[in-house]
Amino acid sequence: MRYLIAIAAIAASPLAAQDFSEGSTAKSWNLFGEIPALFEAKVVDPLCELTGNCPDNCGNGTRQLALLRAADDVMVMPLKNNQPAFTGAANELQPYCGQQVEVDGLMIEDDFLGATNVYLVQKIRAAGTEEWVKANKWTKDWAAAHPEAKGKGPWFRRDPRVKAAIAAEGYLGLGGDETQFITEWLQ
Amino acid sequence: MKKLIAAAAIALALPSAGIAAEGERVTVRGEAIDTWCYFSGVMGGPEAVVGSAHHTCALWCSAGGIPVGLLGEDGQVYMVLKIGDDTNSNGGDTQLHIASHTITADGMLYKRDGINYLVVAEVTADDDIVNVNHDDIGVTPSFAIPKNALKSE
Repeated sequence: MRYLIAIAAIAASPLAAQDFSEGSTAKSWNLFGEIPALFEAKVVDPLCELTGNCPDNCGNGTRQLALLRAADDVMVMPLKNNQPAFTGAANELQPYCGQQVEVDGLMIEDDFLGATNVYLVQKIRAAGTEEWVKANKWTKDWAAAHPEAKGKGPWFRRDPRVKAAIAAEGYLGLGGDETQFITEWLQ
Repeated sequence: MKKLIAAAAIALALPSAGIAAEGERVTVRGEAIDTWCYFSGVMGGPEAVVGSAHHTCALWCSAGGIPVGLLGEDGQVYMVLKIGDDTNSNGGDTQLHIASHTITADGMLYKRDGINYLVVAEVTADDDIVNVNHDDIGVTPSFAIPKNALKSE
C-alpha cells in the first residue's frame, strides 16, 4: 500500500526530475548547474500554450519558443543558443514551429537561483531525421537583417538599437557623464 | 483498497508534469534582467548580473533574443512573454527599452514546471535604473565598456 501511494505521488509530481543525459554529446560550458540533456520535444509558442494567444507559425520569429518534452510533458524554456555571443534560442527553433524535434544541449538546474527547466540548445534535428543542425544561426540572421551595420567586431558592438541606447544613456544606463568612471575602469 | 489502486492508476495515467495552470492576476515590481546571465551564473553570482553594473550586457542579451525576466522583490524571476499589445519577446523594442529598469507590472501570472511566466497587461510604473551598483561591482562582463569607449564619444 505504501509503495502504491509513493508511486502515485511521484508520478503526479509536476517537478519529478528525470535524467536526460544518456546519449547526449553536449559540450560543457563549465556552468555550475549544467546537466547534459538530449530529448525529444515539440517546438511550441509558450504564450499560445499558456493563454491561447496563437498566431500562425508561432509568431513568425517574434516570440520566444519552448520545448514540450515528449517523455514527461514538461515545458522546457530555452534561454540560449550555442553561440557565446549574448544570443537566444528562439531563432534556432523557429524553423521547427509545431514540429517534433530532438535537441541536445545543457539543462540548467540551480536551486539557489531558482533555475529549473531552462536550457541551452546546442543542436537540433527534426524527429526521425539523421542530420543535426547546430544552433548557431542567430548571428547570420542578425547580419542579414542589418546590412547597414556590416563591419568588424561582434554584432553587439555594431547593433543599431544597442548603440542608440548606449548613446542616449551610456554604458551604465544612468545618463549623465560617465567619463570619470570609464577612465578609472579602463586603467 | 480498490479505490486506492484506482487513484494510483489515475495518477500514473496523468502526465507527470505540464498541466497548464490557471492564470492569476498579479502586480509585480522588479528589475528587467536577462534570464540567461542570471540563471546560468555564467558571469558570477546574482549580484553581478543586475543593475547599472550589468546594463550594457542586459541590452546585448535583450537585443540578442534572450528571454527577459523580471527579478521581483520577492526574489522570484518572472519570464516576460508579452507587454501590453506587444508580443515580441524575441528581441523586441518594448523589452529592450526597459533593460535594467525597475518596473511595476500588472498582468497575469502562469506557473508551469517550476517557471513563472508573466503576461504584462500594463506597466504602471517605470522607475528607470534603481540598482546603481557599478561602483561596488564594476562592470560585468569586464569588456562591456570597450577600450575605445571615450574615444568613440
